[in-house]
Amino acid sequence: METEMKFKQLLTQYTGLQPENISNDMRFREDLSMSSLDFMTLLGDIEDEFDIEFEESDQVHITTVGEAIELLGRYL
Amino acid sequence: MSSKLVREFMADSAVQYKGLDAVKWLVGKEVQVLKYEELEAEEIKVRHGIVAEGFTKQQISIVGFTSVEWIEAYLGIATTNNTAVPLDAQMKAEELYELIDRSDSAAVFLSKKLEATIPALLAACPKVKKIWLLEGEPETASEEVGSLAALKALGEKSDADAAPTAEDIAMIIFTSGTTGKSKGVMLSQGNLAENVKALMFSSGAGVPLLNVLPIHHAFCLVMDWLRGFANGAVICINDSFMHMVRNMGIFQPVSMLMVPLMIETVYKRLKNADPNVPKEIIAQKVFGGKLKLIFAGGAHLDPYYIEKFKEYGVAVMEGYGMSECSPVISANVPGAFKPGSVGKPLSNVELKFEDGEILVRGSSVMKQYYKMPNETNEALKDGWLHTGDKGYLDEDGFLFINGRIKNLIILSNGENISPEELENKLALNELIGEVIITGENNGLKAHIYPDPDTTQGMDETELTEKLQAVLDEFNSTQPTYRRIVGLRVRKYPFIKNATRKIKRTEIDRDEPV
Repeated sequence: METEMKFKQLLTQYTGLQPENISNDMRFREDLSMSSLDFMTLLGDIEDEFDIEFEESDQVHITTVGEAIELLGRYL
Repeated sequence: MSSKLVREFMADSAVQYKGLDAVKWLVGKEVQVLKYEELEAEEIKVRHGIVAEGFTKQQISIVGFTSVEWIEAYLGIATTNNTAVPLDAQMKAEELYELIDRSDSAAVFLSKKLEATIPALLAACPKVKKIWLLEGEPETASEEVGSLAALKALGEKSDADAAPTAEDIAMIIFTSGTTGKSKGVMLSQGNLAENVKALMFSSGAGVPLLNVLPIHHAFCLVMDWLRGFANGAVICINDSFMHMVRNMGIFQPVSMLMVPLMIETVYKRLKNADPNVPKEIIAQKVFGGKLKLIFAGGAHLDPYYIEKFKEYGVAVMEGYGMSECSPVISANVPGAFKPGSVGKPLSNVELKFEDGEILVRGSSVMKQYYKMPNETNEALKDGWLHTGDKGYLDEDGFLFINGRIKNLIILSNGENISPEELENKLALNELIGEVIITGENNGLKAHIYPDPDTTQGMDETELTEKLQAVLDEFNSTQPTYRRIVGLRVRKYPFIKNATRKIKRTEIDRDEPV
């Protein structure tokens, strides 16, 4: 839960939405109006915040908030 | 032509800016540095090495990501009479081979990440005699495959040289074209020198700028790198878009070159920051604390962002250019700045207007497209380059752009997409009767009229699902910026003109003819 909260707090920087208003089925592009570059810099924020490094191939398959949290879980 | 060629101003900078940092980059979390005199020493080794290997007056491709090795290789080529062909390392392999082959490249500098592709590259490009890996050593070295390091070692022991003249072609830049086939813009040593000279606005020697755009683009290569070196700037490499904000904190740049999409991303951070925190503090956090100036180009920027960034102490200056003009045509600069315009034309270009279209003539306009005489004659008439953009000069001499004539889609990340190229590929699918690609909301959208025979009996949901699957499969073979994110399924065929070509201006009409 703590990971999820931290992640959603990072997301507020791009969406202006409070963490409690971000649901896991929301899609980055369609529902949160994030561009591909927003998404890439978000990944950068996650790497810094959690001190991890994503594999390039993993980044391609994420479309929803829930998928990102699940992926993050695999790195922690 | 009196402007200094790349070789001359690099030699001058090595003396004038001796002791100053020329390039800074990250290895892991450590900052690495190359000073001006060290950079020139590396450039000279590469130069001698290339000529000692027997390459003069030939094309040499560079396929790699922004790095100090990339720029050493580029300067090595550009300070001889050879021609550099910078290519996008993220391109699909077959497209990359096609451009290497079509440019008649005799050698290639290649990213270590692409080492596994060497056998296929050599097979597809029989004119390539030598490949040098930009980083590290090859797994198995051979007569055909070596490394930049070995080339420099050879160059260190050699004084082989082939100095360029202003008329030599310094670079071929491939650009998307409306015909669907990319065109090789031939820029001479003199073209580049003139553009760098005309851009002599400087933040001062020793002042850091952060390079965030892909280095194979003319806009980035000339504006950031060549202009930066001529002015003694410290050019810091952003290793990944992912870490742009963090790297602004590390390198503390004073100026940056960006495309509108990046400006929009950074703005989101500013806008969504805690409103109780003072703007100076937010700016410090987001921009690294020193940023004063952003040069924007590559696509239209909404003047809204110029106003907003000003509140955080950052001036956003929009410019205009195209590869065919080496590339800058006009630019806003401190002291001559009008929001909404793309600035005043550079001192070495003349503008005129034909039915609203901007025509450019001057010393940085390209010679021709490589081996494309018809396309050259279409673009260059009586020395005037037809830009395909519509615009006007206001009473103070500032240029305003108000439309594009060509169909080329310029996404707000600055990438150019030729819709015909994608349409031709998609049209091969049996479910697709007619297709048009448009650029909308920073992404590409496919408007599809399904083939009535192959889709007979399908309901709307099934049809949409099947067409989406076609797009998904297509997207999986494309770089991110060329992926199609929107789909509109039509009920009726597109409206056509007299010669049965689809009228792109009426694609939103979906009704029986």
